[in-house]
Amino acid sequence: MTQRISKYQRFKMMNPILQFFKFIYLSIKIMIVVAGGHGGTRKVD
Amino acid sequence: MSKIVVLGAGISGHVAASHLRRKLSKEHEVVVVSPNSNYQWIPSNIWVGIGRMKSKQVLFPLAPLYKKKGITYKQAKAVTFHPEGDAIESKPYVLSEYVFGDKKGTTEKITYDYLINATGPKLAFEATEGLIPGENKVYSVCTYGHAEHAWEGLNAVIQKLKSGEKAKILIGTGHGKATCQGAAFEYILNVEQELRRHGVRDNAEITWISNEYHLGDFGMDGMLMSYNGMTMKSSEMIEMIFEDRDIKWILGAGVNKIEDGIAHYENLDGEFKTETYDFAMLIPAFSGHGFKAYDKNDNDITDKLFKGFMIVDADYSSKPYEEWTVQDWPETYQNPSYKNIFAPGIAFAPPHAISKPRQSKNGTVISPAPPRTGMPSGITAKLVADNIIDSIKSGKESLHHKGSLGNMGAACIASAGYGMTQGSGVSITTYPIVPDYKKYPKTQGRQLGKTFGEIGLAGHWLKLALHYAFIYKAKMRPFWWLIPE
Ligand SMILES: Cc1cc2nc3c(=O)[nH]c(=O)nc-3n(C[C@H](O)[C@H](O)[C@H](O)COP(=O)(O)OP(=O)(O)OC[C@H]3O[C@@H](n4cnc5c(N)ncnc54)[C@H](O)[C@@H]3O)c2cc1C
Repeated sequence: MTQRISKYQRFKMMNPILQFFKFIYLSIKIMIVVAGGHGGTRKVD
Repeated sequence: MSKIVVLGAGISGHVAASHLRRKLSKEHEVVVVSPNSNYQWIPSNIWVGIGRMKSKQVLFPLAPLYKKKGITYKQAKAVTFHPEGDAIESKPYVLSEYVFGDKKGTTEKITYDYLINATGPKLAFEATEGLIPGENKVYSVCTYGHAEHAWEGLNAVIQKLKSGEKAKILIGTGHGKATCQGAAFEYILNVEQELRRHGVRDNAEITWISNEYHLGDFGMDGMLMSYNGMTMKSSEMIEMIFEDRDIKWILGAGVNKIEDGIAHYENLDGEFKTETYDFAMLIPAFSGHGFKAYDKNDNDITDKLFKGFMIVDADYSSKPYEEWTVQDWPETYQNPSYKNIFAPGIAFAPPHAISKPRQSKNGTVISPAPPRTGMPSGITAKLVADNIIDSIKSGKESLHHKGSLGNMGAACIASAGYGMTQGSGVSITTYPIVPDYKKYPKTQGRQLGKTFGEIGLAGHWLKLALHYAFIYKAKMRPFWWLIPE
C-alpha cells in the first residue's frame, strides 16, 4: 500500500465541521453547473 | 385531445411522464408502459450491494402513484413498433405484451399521438459467456434484485475472511465494450471500505478490471479537472485513490468468458489472460432491446427506427475519432423518420463513443461505450416532454427545448464508502459531458472551473441527500418539480 493521501489531507477530508462547509460549497457549485442550463450545439444564436 | 405513450418507467420514462402529467390538462392522456412494477433509484443499488441499504429503501410501487396522479399504467413490455399503424389500425401503435396480472401473456396495440421510448439499455449479460448474475461467483448491482444477491455473495466472502482465509475480489467491466464504469468504481470503493469496517481488509486482494485505456476514463475520454487548487487528470486522481486504498488494476481488458472463479480476458496487446477471484462484480455490456418496426403494409422498417438503440437527430455518418464533434450529438432526441417518436435517456443511439476507440492486436474492440448517466437521462426526458407539451398546446411542431450532451453539464457523485462519519464520496462535475475540443482546446475539451473533483465525507452526505431528494421527487410529493433533474 502506498500512502498517497497525507494524514493532514485525510483529516481535512473526514473532519465533519470542515466537511459541513464543503457540503454547502459543493451543493452550490453543483447547482451552478447543473442549473447553468443546456442547449444545442449546432446553431449559435 | 392527445395521447402520449411513454415506454419505460426508469429515470427518463418516469421524469417524462411526471412532467407531462403536471403540465398537460386532464383531457390529454399520459400512458406509461413498463414491465417493472417498482420504480428504483438505481444509483443507491451500490449501497444495497454492500448491505448498508435494503431494497425497499431504493424503490416504491408505481401503480398506486400513477393511479393517484392520473397516469395510465400498463405493466407490459413493448414488443414491436408500428409507427404508421397497420391494415386494421389507422393510428400508430406499439404492440405490447402484458407481463403481470389477468392479462399476462396477452398483447395489446397501444395507440399514440406521441411516443417516448425510454426503455434504457438491455443488460446484455449473454454477450459474455458465463456472465450470469449470481453464478460462477460473479454478481451485478444493475438492479436492486441483483444488488441484494451481490450482498449475499459479498457477505459470504466477509465471513470467510473473518475466519482467517484469504480472498480475491474482482470488480469492473465484464465486456470489451461495456460502459457504466462509474458504477463499478463506486462499488469497488464501497466494498473496500466495508472490508475495513469488518476488520478483514488485510486478508483480501482487491483488483479493478476495466476496458478503459486509462484509469478515470469512465467512457468520457477522461477529464482534466480542478482539484485542490491544482489542475489534475482524472487518471491521476483515480490512481491516487486506488494506490491509497491498495486496489490493483488491470486496464484495456475485454472480459470474454467467465468460469467459476475465473475471468478470461483479452488485452490490447492481443494476449489472452485470466484472473481468478472469490467474488466478482462485473458490469455487463449494454445493448438495445432488439425491437422490430413495421410500416402499415407490414414491411420491416426496423432500420428507420433502430441502430441497436433508437435513431434520433444525431449525425451517424462514420468518421474517425479526430473528426468527432459535439455537433454529432442529438439535441431534441426526435426520430428523423417519424417526428412524433422521441428517445431520451439511454434509449437513443449515440453517434459514436466519447472515449478514443481502441482495438486489440486481434481486432477485438476494447474501449468503453458512451455512458448516459442519471442526470442527462432526466434532463433529456424533461426536454422531450416540454417539446411535446409545447407542440400540443400550440397545435404545431415545436422543438425549442434542446439539450446536447455537448452543451450540458453533469454531476457525478461517486460514493466511496458508506457512513455518516466514516463515509466518503468522489464528487465530480463535468462541463460539457461530451468534450468540445474546439471550444476548450487547451483543457481536453472541458471548461476547467465547471469540471472539478473533490474527495471527502461531504461527498457521501451529498450522495445521501440526492438519494432522498430524488426519491421524494419521483414520488411526486409537494413541489417535486422544484428539484432539478
Ligand atoms: C449500479 C448503477 C449505479 C449508477 N449510479 C449512477 C449515479 O450515481 N449517478 C448517475 O447519474 N447515474 C448512475 N447510473 C446510471 C443511471 O442509472 C442511468 O443513467 C439511468 O438509469 C438511465 O435511465 P433510463 O430511464 O434511460 O434507463 P433505465 O433507468 O434503465 O430505465 C429503463 C426502463 O425501461 C423499461 N423497459 C425495458 N424494456 C422495456 C420494454 N420492452 N418495454 C417497456 N419498457 C421497458 C425498464 O423496465 C425500465 O423501467 C448508475 C447505473 C447503475 C447500473
